[in-house]
Amino acid sequence: MSEAREDAPGLERRIARIEEIAAALENDRLELQQALALFEEGIAHVRAAEAMLADADLRIERLVEDGRGGVITEPAGDRA
Amino acid sequence: MVAGRGGDADPRDAPPRRALVRSGGSWQLAAPTEDAYSVSQVNALARRLLETSLPPFWVRGEVTSWKRHGSGHCYFSLRDANAQLRSVMFRLDAMRLPTDPDEGMEVLALGTLTLYEKRGEYQFVVRDLQGRGAGGLWRLAFEKLRAKLDSEGLLAPERKRLLPRHPTVVGVVTSPVGAALQDIIEVIRARAPWTHVLLSPARVQGEGAAQDVARAIHRFTRVPADVVIVGRGGGSAEDLWAFNEEVVARAIAACPAPVISAVGHEVDVTIADLVADVRAPTPSAAAERAVPDGASLRRELQSDRLRMRHGLRSLARARAVQLAGSRDALEAAMQGSLEARRERLVTRTHRLDALSPLAALRRGFAVPLGEDGRILRATEDFETGRAVRLRVSDGHVHVRTERTSPLEGEGS
Repeated sequence: MSEAREDAPGLERRIARIEEIAAALENDRLELQQALALFEEGIAHVRAAEAMLADADLRIERLVEDGRGGVITEPAGDRA
Repeated sequence: MVAGRGGDADPRDAPPRRALVRSGGSWQLAAPTEDAYSVSQVNALARRLLETSLPPFWVRGEVTSWKRHGSGHCYFSLRDANAQLRSVMFRLDAMRLPTDPDEGMEVLALGTLTLYEKRGEYQFVVRDLQGRGAGGLWRLAFEKLRAKLDSEGLLAPERKRLLPRHPTVVGVVTSPVGAALQDIIEVIRARAPWTHVLLSPARVQGEGAAQDVARAIHRFTRVPADVVIVGRGGGSAEDLWAFNEEVVARAIAACPAPVISAVGHEVDVTIADLVADVRAPTPSAAAERAVPDGASLRRELQSDRLRMRHGLRSLARARAVQLAGSRDALEAAMQGSLEARRERLVTRTHRLDALSPLAALRRGFAVPLGEDGRILRATEDFETGRAVRLRVSDGHVHVRTERTSPLEGEGS
């Protein structure tokens, strides 16, 4: 796994947050300023999630023992 | 054994020893000789006869006195109502048994006859043993393990974990050369090509397959995945057997990520299926359960975007309405306060009026003033002949004092 991917929130967390924000915005108890901030955050997550989905290059790796008790990944082709 | 070195030499190497010899036209009993067969030679000969005279065959009977030795060899007897047959199953064959048969179990045994020379007993060497009736030994082994795992709570419904809805990393434990892997990859590529697939390769059948599958599952404790698919394509009960082994069941239970099992076809239920968090009928179905469909996910995101826009807009509208309401209220409040002030002013004017001397003048009083404008208050201020001005309600009257007459008891 690349470092960039590990740091950024995954699809699961983004989508959970998007649903949370959408539900909050539908409930009209929010202050306008707070709502605006949530809206911006939500749209940013939607954009990021859509960008993740646009990555159409299925990545396949294989787990192998490194011979020292650990496990490492190595690229695997389609026939893996 | 080397020929001629003792009594247990291979009988083929020894000259034939005949007890009957032909003499003329008849058989005659030969005289006893010192080179008679040894006991070992007889048993070796008998063994050779038994082993070569009958090809391998099946025997049906009941198992009795089953004993598995530390060496791995298994000793037992087959019996029916009238007879017993001593039998042995050597380690390499016995290892393939899913479990030991129970006492009295009806079985079919494939093997050959031989003779155990040391004891001069003949025995049946079993290469394969199958239980008769539903599922046989496989079913027996399955039920035994299921009961054991169940008693430990490993099959309890409340142990089942929820699958993530949008996994980023999907682990796959299967053969790297099997059709199952290709099926899984094709489904994930079609539905969720952004996914990262981690293959943990394992031999899924044959000697040591169960240990291999367990080790492959265990790799996900080192390299995390969001969900793990464990499976293989269809095969015979023996082909699928690794997925009925305890070591695989325990590896699945200990896997940090939720596990989807997909072993064989729909009808094949294995112990792995029972322990897994979700059981899929086939590897393709497992992949479908593991990842969301990209097209519908995009539609959901689009609808979330609209929900957020709509939410914000109606929130803003609601706030605008509130604001307008507040302005009205404020204006009304200000209006009200002006009115109140005006009223207070009027009241105060009236009160001032009441205190004003002008009001007294209007009621008929007059105020006498000297030439210097000072108010004359007592008779002594009025010298006879003094010019006085009287301030009345609408002006002044100029008069002169004629005389004064103070009242008794009043004074200034």
